[in-house]
Amino acid sequence: MDRRVVITGLGPVSSIGTGIAAFGASLRVGRSGISPVTSFDTTGFPYVMAGEVRDFVPGAVLRVLDPREWGRTSLFAAVAARLAVEDAGLDPATVPPERAGCVIGTTSGESRVLQGLTEQWVAEGMPALSPEDVRQCPPSRIAAAVSCELGFTGEAMTLSAACAASNYAIGYAYDLIASGETDYMVAGGADSTVRWAHAGFYRVGALAEHACAPFDRNRSGTLTGEGGSALLLETPETARARGARIHAEVLGYGLSCDAGHPVAPDPAGIADCMRRAHRNAGITPADVGYICAHGTGTPANDLAEVTAVREVFGASPPPMSSIKSMLGHTMGAASGFGAIAAVLVLTQGFLPPTINVTEPDPALVPVDPVPGRARPADVRVVQNNGFAFGGNNAITLFGRAT
Amino acid sequence: MTPDRGAPPVVTGWSALSSLGTGADAFAAAVRAGRSGLVDVRGMFDGGELPRHTACAMPGFRARDHLGRKGTGYLDRSTALAVVAARLALADTDLELGDDNRRTTGVVLGTTAGSIRATSAYDRDTLTQDRPYLVDPMLFPTAVMNSAASRCAVWHRLHGVNATVAGGQLAGIDALRYGRTLMARGHADALLVGAVEEFSPHMAWGDERLYGSEPGRAPLGEGAVVLVAEDAERVRASGRSADAELPAVAFGRFAPPGGSPDPGKGLADCIDRALRQAGVHADEVRFVATGERGIPHLDAAEQAGVDAVLGPGTHRLRIKELVGECHAAAGMFQLAALLALHRNDPALDGRTSVVTSVSSGGAVGAAVLRGFSRTRRGHAG
Repeated sequence: MDRRVVITGLGPVSSIGTGIAAFGASLRVGRSGISPVTSFDTTGFPYVMAGEVRDFVPGAVLRVLDPREWGRTSLFAAVAARLAVEDAGLDPATVPPERAGCVIGTTSGESRVLQGLTEQWVAEGMPALSPEDVRQCPPSRIAAAVSCELGFTGEAMTLSAACAASNYAIGYAYDLIASGETDYMVAGGADSTVRWAHAGFYRVGALAEHACAPFDRNRSGTLTGEGGSALLLETPETARARGARIHAEVLGYGLSCDAGHPVAPDPAGIADCMRRAHRNAGITPADVGYICAHGTGTPANDLAEVTAVREVFGASPPPMSSIKSMLGHTMGAASGFGAIAAVLVLTQGFLPPTINVTEPDPALVPVDPVPGRARPADVRVVQNNGFAFGGNNAITLFGRAT
Repeated sequence: MTPDRGAPPVVTGWSALSSLGTGADAFAAAVRAGRSGLVDVRGMFDGGELPRHTACAMPGFRARDHLGRKGTGYLDRSTALAVVAARLALADTDLELGDDNRRTTGVVLGTTAGSIRATSAYDRDTLTQDRPYLVDPMLFPTAVMNSAASRCAVWHRLHGVNATVAGGQLAGIDALRYGRTLMARGHADALLVGAVEEFSPHMAWGDERLYGSEPGRAPLGEGAVVLVAEDAERVRASGRSADAELPAVAFGRFAPPGGSPDPGKGLADCIDRALRQAGVHADEVRFVATGERGIPHLDAAEQAGVDAVLGPGTHRLRIKELVGECHAAAGMFQLAALLALHRNDPALDGRTSVVTSVSSGGAVGAAVLRGFSRTRRGHAG
């Protein structure tokens, strides 16, 4: 018999706010976190916008880690995790450490550290690589940073399924708790903006010049973003025992692989993933009141995603908006931010808007992208989509706490 | 897919692709003979000086020799190693893939950080080309860590779960744990579970910069191991037999070796927990395949953990002496070494062994394996 799994803590570190209050307020007003890139020299790049986290001060939140010893992505994850346990009112020292762990998704790992190593290679040659940077480079350190910060000795896994990685992480954490293998898990994702990803998205024609406008008729692409997203998962019993507020319940998830094109999304694979998620959670499409879209803003993604939604949900799908319009594409952290948004939809009764939409694409009807402005809504189940390079699809489902 | 199956998965076929040879039989022969894969690697990379002249590498490995020319031009080395190893593993199993079970068969692959060489070369182009955006669009997916796992799915048309675990030294343990959970929870009926690591100037210089003062350390290696993991009940019901059962895998994360909480004690707890879960007494353990690498302060934690539970007398199998330090693939090569010993030796049928891993960051893990020989199976590998 499965145990139920609930979410009691939310920890966003993003370009539209750090901490759940700031992040939630930004989602509600449709604030953009997009600004000109400052983390690398953009000379020669035709497009220069991204969703960098400009005000990231890890030392202000961390209590254990020394920020000098960890890469930017690990610090995003550790800060997000610390915020999540604070939001949950959980003192990590009070739980059995071997019954607590984390699983963190990432696309590019410690990409900022590797970028520095590449600069050293180009400038001075490989014999001059900084040993400290080499030490900080492995992405396994991202999960290690979270466990170290919180003192957990159970599972500490870094999962990489490119831009669906957070949903993979949430799914694995859910399974470990539901099956009784463990009791407390921090799940989410983290990534840092880097030059090569900016160049790569530009080169494959997937980068927008000014703004990310998913589901708009004139959408031109996505923008790279960064940050850390974390959720604290536990059982209703442990949450109630310490008098914690239960935000929402994890209902289940589904995974599939297109096994087709390395970059282009496939509606059939995405639809298959939705059906698997619904079956795993024991729900039907009619139960879903809102879809937090993958919604990258590229012409191909949004069309494939809507095609799959039409196939699974029929003629009247629920509203589906994209928070990437505000954050850009935060890669491994993206579906974790989607999960946090999903929880706010369930608890605060509003649908976050897809900003920058001036003319909804008529080719994407009947999907309602909640253009421009947030809207009140009474939603009981949210579907959170995450898709990725390599056809790695992952969808999580969340329900209102009962 | 049936949710919540009880029995842990079994291995019905496997491959090892390394400096010791191509495929399970070549690997098994080298392990039995105690043959090292160390070769001269000077000239392996055009114009790139390496800190050492030798490594357990495969200078002659070309993807197209195994896969043909079509589609292999844009595979990075890690991805090519993984795709070839997956193909070898599928040739070694009697699992037959059709349109139906391809939907429920997936891939879980361990890595350090994908192909660091491919990612770094991609970034290098942003600095050295005439314009920073003049990167090769076709190579973009190779810069991302899930390239190897997703290409395995494309090549072998596997539509099930596709995941990459970035576990470094613990990637083998991580892949086994994640794969077991996915199968037990009904997300997959069968999985290719493996790990891959490539040799490159980047890995060689990184190793030199971190551990250059450790003369006794294992030389770097490269390669891939892929296991075909299936539901035990299903295999039994169809009258097939397995190369191995994987009754338990345990993990813990402590301080780096030398620190507190002590990873040596953590490893001891892990081994103990895994043995209890497997229903095995410590004195029944035949071999322990360790990840010892000739770096004393790291090996000390592993030795302490192993000695505490299994005693100093249990036979140690140190596969890095033959196949080199393969980082993310290390744990899977340790497991493959145990499979190699079982492959042609019915006298070992049903005996239990343990794989242990310790990372420089303090992650520890232990897997229990119960192996069987191929002679009891209908088809030879």
